Amino acid sequence: MKTRKNSNTAMIILYLAPLIILFAAFFLYPLVFNIYTSFMKWKGGGEMSFGGFRNYIKLFEDDSFLLAIKNNVIWALAQGFIQIPLAALVAFILAREPKGWKLLRTVYFLPNVISTVAIAMVWVALYNPQYGAINAVIAALGGRPQNWLGDPATALGSIIMMTVIYIGYFMIIILAAVMNIPKELYEAAEIDGASKMQQEFRITLPMTRGTILTCMTLAMAYGMRHFETTYLMTGGGPAYATNTMGIALYNKMDALRYGEANAAGIILILLGSVVIVLIRRFFGRRDPMADSAQ
Amino acid sequence: MKKQVNFAGAAASILKWFVLIFFLLVALLPFVWLILSSFKTNYELETQPLAMPGHFSFENYANALKTADLARLFLNSIIAATGAVALNLLVTAMAGFVLSRENFKGRDTILTIVTAGVLIPIISFMVPYFMIITKLGLYDNLAALIIVYAAINLPVSLSLITSFMKAIPKELEEAATIDGCSFSQRFTRIILPLSRSGLATAGTFCFIYAWNDFIMAMLFTSSVSSRTIQLGIKFFTSQFITDYTGMFAAIVLSMVPSIAAYIFLHNKIISGLTAGAVKG
Repeated sequence: MKTRKNSNTAMIILYLAPLIILFAAFFLYPLVFNIYTSFMKWKGGGEMSFGGFRNYIKLFEDDSFLLAIKNNVIWALAQGFIQIPLAALVAFILAREPKGWKLLRTVYFLPNVISTVAIAMVWVALYNPQYGAINAVIAALGGRPQNWLGDPATALGSIIMMTVIYIGYFMIIILAAVMNIPKELYEAAEIDGASKMQQEFRITLPMTRGTILTCMTLAMAYGMRHFETTYLMTGGGPAYATNTMGIALYNKMDALRYGEANAAGIILILLGSVVIVLIRRFFGRRDPMADSAQ
Repeated sequence: MKKQVNFAGAAASILKWFVLIFFLLVALLPFVWLILSSFKTNYELETQPLAMPGHFSFENYANALKTADLARLFLNSIIAATGAVALNLLVTAMAGFVLSRENFKGRDTILTIVTAGVLIPIISFMVPYFMIITKLGLYDNLAALIIVYAAINLPVSLSLITSFMKAIPKELEEAATIDGCSFSQRFTRIILPLSRSGLATAGTFCFIYAWNDFIMAMLFTSSVSSRTIQLGIKFFTSQFITDYTGMFAAIVLSMVPSIAAYIFLHNKIISGLTAGAVKG
C-alpha cells in the first residue's frame, strides 16, 4: 500500500491539477480579489488607491442598499418559511401515492427546467395592468385591478408570490426522503390505531426533519442571493421597492464603481453565511435526529 | 364513530386534492395562457385577455422566426452548455477518482474546500470574473461561458461524483492492479465506466444551469454571434415593444427545446436530483 502511494504521487498531482487550477481561478482568487478591492477606491479603468472602509460606509449610508438587504432578508424568510413548508406539504401528500402522483411530480418540477428569462417574461405579461391575465381574472370576479409590478406597495410581494411555481425542486428532494422511510413504521402505527394525520406528524415529519432542514438552509441561502428573476421583472424598481443586493452590485459594476461593487459582494457573502450558520444553530441543536435522518 | 371517521377522511381527501390541483394549475396555467395568447392579435389580447383566440393564426410565429435568428441562438446555447458539461465532468471525474480511491495527505481538505464553494453566491464574483475573462481575451466568445459554467459547477459535481466513486468496491481495482492495470487504466477502464450514472447526474445539473443562465451570458457576450438563447429572448423582447403577442410566440419557441428534453429525460433528471439528495 505504502509503496503504491509513493509511486503514484506524480499521477495524483496530475489528476488533481485541473480541478485545483480551475477552482483557484474562479473561487479562491475572486474571493481574495474581492476582499482586497473592497477596501480600495477603484473606478473602472482608473488607478486603485487605499480607501479603508469607505466603500462599506458608502453602502450602509445608501438607503437603496439598506432596502436591498431588507428585501433579501424578506426573500430568505419567504423561501424558508413559505416555500419549504409548501414543498413539504405537497411531498407528504404525494408520498402516499395518490392517483397520478408520478405525473404530478413531473409537472410540478417543470418550471425548474425552463429558463428564468422565459418564466420572468411570462409573469411580467401575467401581471401586466393592460392585458395581463391576473387583472382580467380579478376583474371578472368583481375585484379591483392593480398595477402589480408598477406599484411599490405590491411589487415585492408579487414577485415573491410568483416563485411558488418553483416548489417542485425542494418537493422532489423531500419526497425522496419520505419514500426512504421504512414502510413497516406506518404498518405498525396503523395496527396501533394511529390516524393518517398522526402518522404524518409522528413518523414522516420527525424522520424527514434533517432533509427539510437542509432544504430550508439552501432555500434561505438562495433567498439571500436572489437576483435574476427580480432583475428581469422589475430591474429592482419601482423606486427600489424590489431592490436586492445582487441588483445593487450589478448596478455599481455597470456604473464602473468596482470598489463598491466588490464591497457589496463581500457583504452578500457574509450575510449569506450568517443565515446558514444561524439556521443550523437554531434548528440543529434541539434535534438529535437531524443528522441521523439525513 | 365510523361515520365520523369517514367524514374526516372525505374532508382530508378534498383538501389533499385541492392542494394538488392548485399547484398543478399554478405550474401549468401561465403556459396555457401564454400559448393561447401567442395565437391572438394584439387587439384581441388587450380587449379580451382571457378569451380564446378568434382564429389560430401562425403569423406571430412566422414573425418571431424572421425577427430573431433562433437557430443561431439555440446552437450557441447548445455549444456553451455541452462544452461546459464536458469540461466540468472531465475535471471532476479525474479529481474525484483520486480523491475517492487514493490515500494521501490533504485529501479531505481539498474535498472540503472545493465542496464549500456551493456556499458562495456567485453573483458576488461578477467583477473578478469579468476581469479574468477580459484578461484571457475571451470576452464575447463562447469559450468564456464554457469555462465559467464548468467552474461554477465544480463544487456540486465534485461532491456528487466523489461520493458516487467512493461506493465502488475496492476489490475490483485491486484485482485489476494485480492483472497489470496502470493508474490511468484503473481510471479509464474501471472507475469511469462504473460511475456512469453519477456522471450523468452531475452532467444534468451542469447542463440545466448552463442552459438557463442569463447573467453570465449578459456579462461576457455582446454580439449576436455569441449570444445564447436566454440572452436572445431578453433582447428580442425589446424588439417587440408593442407587439406583445409576437413576443409571446418568440418565448414559446424558446421554451420548446427545454420542454421537449424534459419530456424525454424527466425520469433521469428527477432520479438524479434525488440521488444527489440522499446524503442531504
